[in-house]
Amino acid sequence: MASKASLKGKGKVAKSGRGGSAAAPDERTAVKCVKVWSTWAMKKAKVAAQYGFIPLIIVVGMNSDPKPSLYQLLSPI
Amino acid sequence: MGSSPAPPPYGVGLAALLPPKEEKKAEKKVDYLNLPCPVPFEEIQREALMSLKPELFEGLRFDFTKGLNQKFSLSHSVFMGSMEVPSQSTDTIKVPTSHYEFGANFLDPRLMLVGRVLTDGRLNARVKCDLTDNLTLKINAQLTNEPHFSQGMFNFDYKGKDYRSQFQIGNNAFYGANYIQSITPNLSMGSEIFWLGHQRKSGIGFAARYNTDKMVATGQVASTGIVALSYVQKVSEKVSLAADFMYNHMTRDVTSSFGYDYILRQCRLRGKIDSNGVVAAYLEERLNMGVNFVLSAELDHPKKNYKFGFGLTVGE
Repeated sequence: MASKASLKGKGKVAKSGRGGSAAAPDERTAVKCVKVWSTWAMKKAKVAAQYGFIPLIIVVGMNSDPKPSLYQLLSPI
Repeated sequence: MGSSPAPPPYGVGLAALLPPKEEKKAEKKVDYLNLPCPVPFEEIQREALMSLKPELFEGLRFDFTKGLNQKFSLSHSVFMGSMEVPSQSTDTIKVPTSHYEFGANFLDPRLMLVGRVLTDGRLNARVKCDLTDNLTLKINAQLTNEPHFSQGMFNFDYKGKDYRSQFQIGNNAFYGANYIQSITPNLSMGSEIFWLGHQRKSGIGFAARYNTDKMVATGQVASTGIVALSYVQKVSEKVSLAADFMYNHMTRDVTSSFGYDYILRQCRLRGKIDSNGVVAAYLEERLNMGVNFVLSAELDHPKKNYKFGFGLTVGE
């Protein structure tokens, strides 16, 4: 609720400040575009991190010195 | 009658009971240009937290850590017990849960990667990377399958000669910064500010830490209305005593606790008593090389909530 009120306030200030500028709608859609794309990128990054972080650690660990073998990775001893 | 024994080195009678004269420690002149680096701002109360807030749990816990080489290890962890769900009423709601957690750790002097994934898909990730000698990047994230419940935080730490500064970026548009400076070899003071974007909240806090070889005293004040003081006294190599006081101005909550921490050869025992009527104890007993037996107990007498847990930790 508070965030909606503050967004409305922001919109009013922007409109009154710009007056009759013709570039205002383009700028606002550009900002909207950036926001939509960054949200999409964050969602994809979150899924990639969730699936790939543990395999990344395993790959980095298996390539460190001294190199452990695959048997050591999979066996429960 | 044998020959009389040699006289004690410090004389006879009462003089033998007095401790030997200690050499007067030469008074060192304080070099204000050469002060030690202070502890990081978020660890300012670490001794008190280590003694007074052990990880109490209820149920069975089994942790197995398998090292594949010096830097890389895998961990398997099983937990069966109750977890408390925060509720509005005074009754506590306990939900019986069980989970299996698989983890992988990679620990290098310059890079640390720790990941834990649970059976329901939740991932706990911690990354610490030394970008240069003085600049460190830390990432802390909890990712869940449910939307809007994931949390992440990026920290950039800069360590100077006698100061440390940190800048934080978190989800929900959280930005924070803190700075701590050594004032004398024993005293360090710091402050922090944060800004929460989505709720338009901001806050500022100040902290001070005074420590000698035998004691640590810290105080923290924040504009969110929290005052926290703590004091830890190292009574001997094996015993520390700690006391903690917290006042929350918004909820008019006052809590104070006293605790002890015994670090013995085969076990570590921590116990504490609270002003809310909570008595807790946590015992880690070393049964064998690498095998630790853990007992945890928390008795909340006013709410009649008793939690007992036991577990085994195998591996380093």
